[in-house]
Amino acid sequence: MSESKLVARDVRMAFGGVVALDRAGVEVHPGRVSGLIGRNGSGKSTLFNCLTGFLKPTAGTIELDGRDITGHAPHEVMRAGIARTFQTPRIDFQTTAREAVLCGLFPRVRHGFLSSLLGLPHALAEERAMQREADAVVERMRMDDWAALQVNKLSMGRVRSVEVARAIAADARYLLLDEPAAGIGRDEMRVLADEIRSLAERGIGVLLVEHNFSLIRMLCEDVTVLDTGAVIFKGTPDEARRDERVMQLYLGTAAAGEAA
Amino acid sequence: MSLFGSRPNTWIMAGVGALACAVAPLNPVWLDSVILTGILALISLSAGLSFGQAGILSMAQGAFAAIGAYATAVCSTRFGLPAWAGLALAIALPSALAWGLARMVTRMPELAVALATLALATLLEIVARNWDAVTGGYVGIAGIPPVEGFSVGWRFNILVWVFVLLAVLAYENLMRSAHGRALNIVRHDRTRAMADGIAVAPLLSAMLATSGAMAGAGGWLYAHYITYMSPGSLDTHASISALLMAVVGGAGYILGPVLGTFLLNLLGKLLPAQEAQGLFYGGALILILLVAPAGLLGWLQALADRRTARRARATSNAAAPAAPAGPAAQAGREADNPARAAEPAR
Amino acid sequence: MLEYAFRGLLNGTVYALLALPMTLFFTTAATVDFAVGAYALLAAAVATAIPGPVGVLAGLASALAASSVMAVVYVLLKRTSEGGIRVALASFGLSLAIASIVLMVWGTKPFVRQTFMTMLEFGGLRVNPQGLVNVAVSVALVGATWLVLQRTQLGRMMRAAAVNAQGAELAAIPVIGVQCGTLLAGGLLGGTAGLLILHSSGMDFTASLGLTFIGFAAAIIFGIHSPLRCLAGGLAIGVIEALSAGYTSGMVTSMLPSAFMLVVLLSGQLRAGRYSGDRP
Repeated sequence: MSESKLVARDVRMAFGGVVALDRAGVEVHPGRVSGLIGRNGSGKSTLFNCLTGFLKPTAGTIELDGRDITGHAPHEVMRAGIARTFQTPRIDFQTTAREAVLCGLFPRVRHGFLSSLLGLPHALAEERAMQREADAVVERMRMDDWAALQVNKLSMGRVRSVEVARAIAADARYLLLDEPAAGIGRDEMRVLADEIRSLAERGIGVLLVEHNFSLIRMLCEDVTVLDTGAVIFKGTPDEARRDERVMQLYLGTAAAGEAA
Repeated sequence: MSLFGSRPNTWIMAGVGALACAVAPLNPVWLDSVILTGILALISLSAGLSFGQAGILSMAQGAFAAIGAYATAVCSTRFGLPAWAGLALAIALPSALAWGLARMVTRMPELAVALATLALATLLEIVARNWDAVTGGYVGIAGIPPVEGFSVGWRFNILVWVFVLLAVLAYENLMRSAHGRALNIVRHDRTRAMADGIAVAPLLSAMLATSGAMAGAGGWLYAHYITYMSPGSLDTHASISALLMAVVGGAGYILGPVLGTFLLNLLGKLLPAQEAQGLFYGGALILILLVAPAGLLGWLQALADRRTARRARATSNAAAPAAPAGPAAQAGREADNPARAAEPAR
Repeated sequence: MLEYAFRGLLNGTVYALLALPMTLFFTTAATVDFAVGAYALLAAAVATAIPGPVGVLAGLASALAASSVMAVVYVLLKRTSEGGIRVALASFGLSLAIASIVLMVWGTKPFVRQTFMTMLEFGGLRVNPQGLVNVAVSVALVGATWLVLQRTQLGRMMRAAAVNAQGAELAAIPVIGVQCGTLLAGGLLGGTAGLLILHSSGMDFTASLGLTFIGFAAAIIFGIHSPLRCLAGGLAIGVIEALSAGYTSGMVTSMLPSAFMLVVLLSGQLRAGRYSGDRP
């Protein structure tokens, strides 16, 4: 019996002689927000990429709802229901926000290339449905006011929201966010946190990779701490704050987070 | 959405094509030029689709057309099959080759793709020049019969422009669909495409197969018009010209290649000397790359955008500078937003 | 067979000269100057028109002039975009334009000049002394390039620009200047190659692209990164081409440069884009 979750288990990642991950693991459950933190070079991005198919682990497994998806290609992982954002937004700045959301709907396309080419009725019908769906997502994410603006005219916070919207447009069940708070101010961070919280309420499992401990504290029910590729702590954010090893790593950062 | 608004490029093409069919027959020289322009436009469209939308710089479109031309030439002269049977083969063969090529080419950076396709085109040309048994070698194949029912000049002209129109329609259908958007994403950022759930390799294969088919159709038309096919007819020079025309007109725009073909081909005919063609084409390419990298249509769109922006600034008050990015509707001269490419890739 | 191989080596050294500009420009600017073959053609054409050593100088000068046009275009293009592909396309346009000019001015007749009347004999091998001149000139130029790269300030700047253009700029290295310099050097090298070919097998107005191909193929066969590899690549292609001319058909021989190029490209030599594992 497999419960619904996304799990990385005993993942080892070696690049030549360098071991980036050593028996690392993390779990993401539907409806819960989990955190993954660590210093630069701790391997959290590597683990992130293993989870999303951008890297094939040297050893270990990635399981989605009981199914082994280790080493599957990124687009397959996405279609299986795992969406991701990028730390530096990867988005065509010339498109509008709504277009970006529309692009996220691709995995739901049923008709084929040839049908599009020939303009077959079912393809056209599906396209119309997609356009309506994009509008629905825009409305749900409360982006209506600025959805028609070009992405290069948006603030960073809004760009992040667009990325999140694009990721969930495809009906992903798990959303993996790569440092979404980077480069945005406090107000926008609150907006982002609200968005993430409402996603979790709708049953999506969220994994938050973050430097910003306050966001982690705001949102995450549990947090995994990595250091030099290994898991050194698993627990709630409050417990993490009290753990000596974790605080030693984050001495400076945590203090700044507290003061902020 | 209005009928025009959903497929503006197709309607414009229909208008242009109708004009071409009405005016050209008035003068036999014009007729010949216009027919050849149509055929070249078809090949150029295939180059534009590949480069402008997917970032795959294929310099082998002339070779694909040549394969189509030879296929139908052999079918009709050696096996006595009707031209339409040749069409099926003329579309299928280059399409299959392009599909196979895609598998190899999709992982390579732009420049490498350009060089690899150019090398391939050269190889194919050499093969054509030497494979006496099939292509007639150096001498080529003569006596290709015209298409039944379209042997008269002005009728064939109509056939040519119908083909061009169908190609533009298919192109526009594609760019208005999720697959077209996916192609643009792939061109822009492959990692992004993968994260969007796009299977890049099959998509590019399908796109290249389509462009191969378009070029093959162009070759079919060519063979049945000139009634003679040789290695020199649709050679690397033709491949390069097709690409140039697409870039000059604006590779990212559906009608860019058509515009580019009209300009370069027709203006080229006005040149004092045939030899100066290379100078004209090369010079035009350099000029466009320097002055209007997104091609003529790109330049026109930039002008239009500036005017809209200026007008928006003038009419809006000091408050919110939220310029409504409404459709910069310049009578569909550009394809719709997803196909709007600001530059023909890096 | 030895004779073929030997002849191939002689031809190959000239190919190395065509390959050098490719290497230099690609490593410093990450793109290709397609007009190298055209520079060769232009030099040969001009030198045919003007007899004697003045012709040789005029040929080189014209090749240099052509490459300076490319340099200007390059600088202008760099202002507006990153586009390596645009530079390549522009060089393509230039190549077409130059070939067209040659055609217009000189027509379709081939360019060839024989300077040496008697052949030398080396233990059973008949060698045209021109071949030795070719080898001498080519090896000297390859060697000189290598020396410049390894031992001079200019060479250090070029290598810095090749490894990391942005870093080099920050270190006050005039990267654009270096890149233009390699373009101009390409003009001279291509021109020299053209002159050598003029005095050997000759060429006609259609030769420009073919020569560019050979140059590029020779440059990438062993890795596009160093002048010495150009020499090796040129020699390899020369020998294989000569052997092929001797033992197989003309068709196979003419296919060699393109086939080489295709194989090497498909094997991923030019691969630039990849994500380095950690952050896609």
